[in-house]
Amino acid sequence: MGREIGAGRASPSMIRRSASLLRRWVAGGGKRSLHSHLRWAGFFFVLPALIHLVIFKFYPMLQALRLSFFRYDLMSPPVFTGLENYKLLWENPLFHQSFWVSVKYMFGVSIPEWFFALGLALLLNRRMPGRAVIRLAYFFPIAMSQIVVAMVWKFMYHPFGLVNTILETFGVGRINWLSMEESALPALIAIGIWRGIPLFGVIYLAGLQAIPKEYHEAAIIDGAGVFQRFFYVTVPLLLPTIMFVMVLSLLSAVKVFLNPLVMTEGGPNGTTRVLPYFIYETGFAFFRMGEAAAASMVLFVFLFGLTLIQLRLLRRGGVE
Amino acid sequence: MRRKTMLRLGGALISLLTVGGVVVMLLPYFWMVSSSIKTGIEVFDLPIKWIPDEIQWVNYPNALSKGAFGVYFYNSFVVAFAVMAGNLVFCTLAGYGLAKFRFRHRELCFRLILSTLMLPLEIVLVPTFLVVRELGLVNTYGGLIAPLAVDAFGVFLMRQSIRDIPDSLIEAARMDGCSEFGIFWRIILPNCKPALGALALLAFRDNWDQFLWPFIVATTDDLKTFPLGLAQMEGIDSAAYHEIMALAVLGMIPAAFIFLFFQRAFVRGITLTGLKE
Repeated sequence: MGREIGAGRASPSMIRRSASLLRRWVAGGGKRSLHSHLRWAGFFFVLPALIHLVIFKFYPMLQALRLSFFRYDLMSPPVFTGLENYKLLWENPLFHQSFWVSVKYMFGVSIPEWFFALGLALLLNRRMPGRAVIRLAYFFPIAMSQIVVAMVWKFMYHPFGLVNTILETFGVGRINWLSMEESALPALIAIGIWRGIPLFGVIYLAGLQAIPKEYHEAAIIDGAGVFQRFFYVTVPLLLPTIMFVMVLSLLSAVKVFLNPLVMTEGGPNGTTRVLPYFIYETGFAFFRMGEAAAASMVLFVFLFGLTLIQLRLLRRGGVE
Repeated sequence: MRRKTMLRLGGALISLLTVGGVVVMLLPYFWMVSSSIKTGIEVFDLPIKWIPDEIQWVNYPNALSKGAFGVYFYNSFVVAFAVMAGNLVFCTLAGYGLAKFRFRHRELCFRLILSTLMLPLEIVLVPTFLVVRELGLVNTYGGLIAPLAVDAFGVFLMRQSIRDIPDSLIEAARMDGCSEFGIFWRIILPNCKPALGALALLAFRDNWDQFLWPFIVATTDDLKTFPLGLAQMEGIDSAAYHEIMALAVLGMIPAAFIFLFFQRAFVRGITLTGLKE
């Protein structure tokens, strides 16, 4: 059962060869002379984690690539079909829809997060009475479980839930947020933003606190106003944090799965079927493992490309 | 004079914004708690009564009896603590190796480990399941725990904080004939307690909360974790909002407890993973 899938083993010589190849680009350690047992000790400390990641990350990744060229339903042995899975995906309108839903969700969530979280951090960095309590109140939601959030918001979005009750006082009619095509995705995006702001706010706040006070004092002496100080002192010095938040927010938004699953089941009409949901459904509901693996590869290439672009921007921003 | 009133007005506006933000952030949770002590009919009553006339504590036992929640809570704790332990051991060892030793391909090892951040479970879901199945671990605690036991973020966090421990401490111990593991145990661990605490908290929170992986790998009722149990109960009885909210309140307690008691370590953990370098 599943021989072709599980039996492959990366040969040590292959790993060594690729490792030495990569080493040319990598500033290698080991130049300084030390007792050899120390080198081995260091390597042995790293080894357990490395083995784990090989088994549960790199090997599965290679398997995903391999599997994407096979037809496999968990029962009968896998059949090599070449690029068939990719062709099926390309011709599947649901996959296209799913891809764009994911893109919309990602940017819909992360772009507002960048600004709101920075705003929050600036607010909390000010001196004000009761700052510790206010910070506590803002950061508390970070600790909340995803499932609790999903349940609460499903209830919030109920036709007679709190969201509609509040909107009604402003004269807006009751909306069944999660079961209308136009509103389901925006409703989920709103939750994503609401959830992300405190988390990225903490990261920004730490970045703000790391900026030495002397810079601001010098700028004040030179007669810079609030906005000038923000754009010429805060932003440039915060750039590494800003870049980090951008990467992290996109990466975490693309992984969303629980909310579409328990709140909308990918509906109505697939308008909230994000890519991870598509992968889950294809693999574990329809048992088309090969196609699911192919979809995973597409998602991976997309993520990888996005990260590369961001790293490029990061370099250009003078952050190394 | 005019400038002063402008400033005061601005300050008042900012304070208002701050408080408004707190309300937006916390209101859903208040509503959750409030609904969990109402009857199924009262939850939709208008105008909203935040504290009902008669508090329905009975919702809690009623909700708990709608599934094997004792088992689900127990499983969540087992998974969260086991994954936390795995992360503490493996990430700290690896972090130490990467921070304080020079060996061939060290940078490569570090980059390989970091690169797994690009391979979240969502991407390697299908093949990870196949690996776990190959190992015969579907529907076992081992299968629930093993794939999560090392997280690259943890390695990164530990490496960063162990690097700040002065080399002279390690050298001195080495001179005194302390073994390499002895150095790790007596010098490194006591000197990176804050980072260990932060790592433990983050690991606990993330895995108490783990949904996708148990959802795939635990199909029998006796292995389901709390999030799965709650989602399942909601699927069956989706109109019983008062009871769902009661369960949500219970599910919130461990995280809230941890946050309130270890707030500083928690926030430090989040920022440590993001900053420096």
